[in-house]
Amino acid sequence: MTSGDLLLQQAINGLSLGSIYALLALGFTLVYGIMELINFSHFNVFMVGSMFAMLILQALGVVGQETVMSGVPLIAILVFTLAVTMLLCGALGVSIERFLLRPLRGIKGPAAMITTIGVSYVLFNLVLLTLGTDAKNFPNPLPPIVWQIGGATLRLREVLIWVIAILLMGGLTYFVQYTKIGRAMRATAQDPDAARMMGVEVDRVVMMSFFISSALAGASGMIFGLYYNLAKVDIGFAAGLRAFTAAVLGGIGNVPGAMIGGVIIGLVEAMSGQVVGTAWTDVVIFSLLVLVLVFRPAGLLGRLAPNKS
Amino acid sequence: MISRRTTFKAAAGVAAAATLGSQQALAADKVLRIGIDLSFTGADAESAARVAGGGVLAFEEANERHEVKGYSFEVVKLDDATATAGQYDPAQAATNARKFVSDKSFVAALGPQMSGAGKAMAPILSQGGLATITPSSTNPDITNPKFAAQYMPAGKAIYFRTVATDAYQGPNMANYMADTLKVKSIFVLDDSGAYGVGLADAFQAQAEKKGIKVMGRDRLDPKATDYAAILTKIKALGPDALYYGGVGQAGVKLFKQSYDIMPTMIKAGGDGIYGSDMLKGAGFPACEGWYATNAAPHVTEDPKTAKFSEAFHKRFNQFPEDYSATCYVGAQVIIAAVKQIVAAGKEPTRDAVRDAIGGINLKDSLIGPVAFDEYGDVKNKIISVFQIKQNKAKPLDDPDSQFKYIGIAPQA
Repeated sequence: MTSGDLLLQQAINGLSLGSIYALLALGFTLVYGIMELINFSHFNVFMVGSMFAMLILQALGVVGQETVMSGVPLIAILVFTLAVTMLLCGALGVSIERFLLRPLRGIKGPAAMITTIGVSYVLFNLVLLTLGTDAKNFPNPLPPIVWQIGGATLRLREVLIWVIAILLMGGLTYFVQYTKIGRAMRATAQDPDAARMMGVEVDRVVMMSFFISSALAGASGMIFGLYYNLAKVDIGFAAGLRAFTAAVLGGIGNVPGAMIGGVIIGLVEAMSGQVVGTAWTDVVIFSLLVLVLVFRPAGLLGRLAPNKS
Repeated sequence: MISRRTTFKAAAGVAAAATLGSQQALAADKVLRIGIDLSFTGADAESAARVAGGGVLAFEEANERHEVKGYSFEVVKLDDATATAGQYDPAQAATNARKFVSDKSFVAALGPQMSGAGKAMAPILSQGGLATITPSSTNPDITNPKFAAQYMPAGKAIYFRTVATDAYQGPNMANYMADTLKVKSIFVLDDSGAYGVGLADAFQAQAEKKGIKVMGRDRLDPKATDYAAILTKIKALGPDALYYGGVGQAGVKLFKQSYDIMPTMIKAGGDGIYGSDMLKGAGFPACEGWYATNAAPHVTEDPKTAKFSEAFHKRFNQFPEDYSATCYVGAQVIIAAVKQIVAAGKEPTRDAVRDAIGGINLKDSLIGPVAFDEYGDVKNKIISVFQIKQNKAKPLDDPDSQFKYIGIAPQA
């Protein structure tokens, strides 16, 4: 491997990580943009998503590393699993919002944020008690297709998670920019009171933002499982913290910012493992965050949040 | 840490053995009580039952044969696991140690299973002068003279082992890799934990001594999920082998990702990666080919010990594990010590038993010759090497059939 190949390989690793972080970061940013709430339950909605995807795949007969599929059945099974996982996680997010956060709407202070931390732990413990703490062997139906680019290796699973991430991010961008409810979301983000006066149903917008962000967390959980062939009860905290950092780095509340932040964090993680050492990865990532915030307090692309005045 | 063998064939069964001894004892015999402290409930319960069986069997045999004239043994089991901890609990282990120490009829003990429990028990046992023989706890600190003030405050060795320690697991494996696997260069990883770092340090020092080129050393965060960056770096460096000091939490992810990135490299670790959690979490083919070690001789497949396995199976309706044999031998040491004292016409008091254990020399036991150094460590330190080889005929998460015994790693 030449150093060019090595750089390319680490870029491939970093982009894959970045895709997972970006999808997760979008969830933080969407909810924050509309409610100014840091939703910590997002960490474990992601983890639950990867468990859902694992259980669905297993129910469909895809178990461990032994079942390998290809062609139309593979695509069908992946699309089906992705859709059901996103729906289930979306429903989970909506119920968290409807039953636990809506009653707290309008209460000043950190009550809602604390609630999301509590919900996060409840989800964590529910999974811990039902599925156990051991690392699960996430089903991997992908054929072992590999391309060599110089000395670097590109696997089908990496291409797949990039494609899923790009499609979902593209879909989200379209949704927010060009649909009626998307416009309502942007309006609410700018000024909830004015939006309400203009006839926007704020409750519906909030619910929608929770649905979308949780569905994206579910998708992220599934591609996490496909990428690492692993599901475990404690994956939410590590990945969630990086993704949250990505959202802040890009400018929280800012949709393109979250995508860019996610990819940057993924790339930095891969490169610091190469150059400095894996033990130092957190130091590098969080130093970068501090540096960016010192010079651009609102994040790379600027912070977007409801107008308080 | 202790080896994390999980057991499979375990049925119920050992519980019935709790009150043995006294019934078989002759009415005239004086009863000597032996404490067994293991983690009988929680995560390590299955293993504890099989380990305890070894000790129980040895004392039953001794009573039956009237091995020591005028005395019989009674085993009392205490559990150092609690429901809140879900596994061993150092506070409970300390309580159990106090129970043993405060009752004068206890002359020796077997256990504990876990090093964390051992660290809590050792100072109390030392003050009480009660010797214990651990069949499975491998943390070197407890018998390290450097920490004598902490773990043997009364000055004399009381924490004896019939297993080797982690200070040998790493170096002996380094010898094995240099001599047998002909490894010339290596990359060393650990999982940031006390056990993992210690094991990797000890491995690395010996590897360098053996002339293996250490191409790098890095630390995995067990909570992180992605090790692709460091593994890509290792692949580019191109060492012959990878050594990992650590347990399953980072290990499972390391197995998976290293299989993707460098499927053919020689990969090895300690007893932290021996067990069903690796087989379940990483699965095949990611597990295939990994080497692992254990700090005890592998006796359960040894034809010489078939008689022991048979007797064990007959008594408990399940098969022994390696630490059942170390526990059996620990009991034999206690019996031999008592026998020696009685033969000399003295009273087998707690102090006398402790001193006699220190001087014991069993020429031939299930695990080979047994004698202790002045700190309580067994002199003949045996590290067994295993390699994961898929055996499709057996359950894929059963360590007994998926970890293939290779042999003994040469002593450093």
